[in-house]
Amino acid sequence: MRLLSHNMLSSNIKGVSNGFPLRIEAEKVVVKQVDLNVGFLKNMFPKIEWKALVEASRTMGYAELPEEVEPSKLDSGDFLQKFHHALLELVLEEGALVCPETGRRFPVSKGIPNMLLHEDEV
Amino acid sequence: MASTGLNYQTCGWSSPTATTLPPRTCLGAARVNGAAVSSKKNNKKRGFELRAVAAATAMEAVELKKDIAEFYDESSGLWEDLWGDHMHHGFYDPKAADVSVSDHRAAQTRMIDEVLRFAGISDKCPIGNVVDVGCGIGGSSRYLAGKYGANCKGITLSPVQAQRANALAADQGLANKQASFQVADALAQPFPDGQFDLVWSMESGEHMPDKAKFVDELVRVAAPGATIILVTWCHRDLGASEQSLQPDEKKLLDKICNAFYLPAWCSTADYLKLLESYSLEDIKAEDWSPYVAPFWPAVIRSALTFKGFFSLLRTGTKTIRGALAMPLMIQGFKKDLIKYSIITCRKPE
Repeated sequence: MRLLSHNMLSSNIKGVSNGFPLRIEAEKVVVKQVDLNVGFLKNMFPKIEWKALVEASRTMGYAELPEEVEPSKLDSGDFLQKFHHALLELVLEEGALVCPETGRRFPVSKGIPNMLLHEDEV
Repeated sequence: MASTGLNYQTCGWSSPTATTLPPRTCLGAARVNGAAVSSKKNNKKRGFELRAVAAATAMEAVELKKDIAEFYDESSGLWEDLWGDHMHHGFYDPKAADVSVSDHRAAQTRMIDEVLRFAGISDKCPIGNVVDVGCGIGGSSRYLAGKYGANCKGITLSPVQAQRANALAADQGLANKQASFQVADALAQPFPDGQFDLVWSMESGEHMPDKAKFVDELVRVAAPGATIILVTWCHRDLGASEQSLQPDEKKLLDKICNAFYLPAWCSTADYLKLLESYSLEDIKAEDWSPYVAPFWPAVIRSALTFKGFFSLLRTGTKTIRGALAMPLMIQGFKKDLIKYSIITCRKPE
């Protein structure tokens, strides 16, 4: 699972008022190379919750993202490279996503998080 | 925008340079177990939903500003050549028949006088500190400074226009204090609260992507007792049972939006609703479409003259696209879809 997905996911377990962002427990993180696409990055940037991305990438072992970004940074190749790496190249292979309010763990196995709730949780 | 509850007819305007497709190798990233659950009644529930994403209006706004600036950088010179330094409609007698070129220039200055009269301040001289929001090459500002003793500060997104405006002011002997111009965003005016006695927005509202923020800034920079004047193109007010414009109406407005870099149209009623949320006095509006009717046909005629046509070819695609959209404006007025609106009010003392 990449941080692009993680940035969009919010826990909707019954009773949870703020299920975003899911906390990451990283057991195995892998880097998979992806071609950089400037247009895609520029378009995604306003949709991304930046703080959540910075926090999540740190958990995954990448601490290069700046805390704050002004729109002009999007013209910087250096910044785009870092943004690209965090968003698309860090892959959580094994670990878990944890609901910030209830603590419910959703295991991540072979890169895929299992978000299905059990019978008794529905 | 959503928080004001206004019903915008948002145009499908978008920058052609932005791509929205993710890299192919990343499509796998979207696989999340639970997303492909069948719809059968098996009581399996997903423990996630997609969080609300703030619309990418921030990025679009940045692109829009750039495009507006480029549009006016490119076309200002030609307009000035053909029409002079007023980049707004002329005010004509509704029964006017053959209007000649010189009459048009007179009509444009008459528009300023009529606007001040409607606002109830045409007798005021000196008019005091004025902000010209969307000043173009400063026609209105210099006119107000010359005839009404105003001290005008104009803002525009176009560096070419700001430079030209300052040059013309210097040429006309208007010292820096009387008419000065700078590049700035009307949605974030570089002025402190309550600085101006007259807040003047002449046909610039059409370019504002966030009408609420635009009005907020107009009100913010107005001093106590100041007059706020907004002259702008609106679409017709919606009927009581209408949620939005008809599809064919939206289509027409969309085409005009794309050509003139307008982000969204709203109605006069929408502006009034915004203004009413502040404690402003004497809010009034009028439809001046009948008084501007001869304008677009005249502009088209000027584009078809020898000088107009060949100058147009020498400008650029943005200007040409704008020129080709002019008949659409006439269509819009004829259909009673587009309204030339004047809205004025006063900030309490």
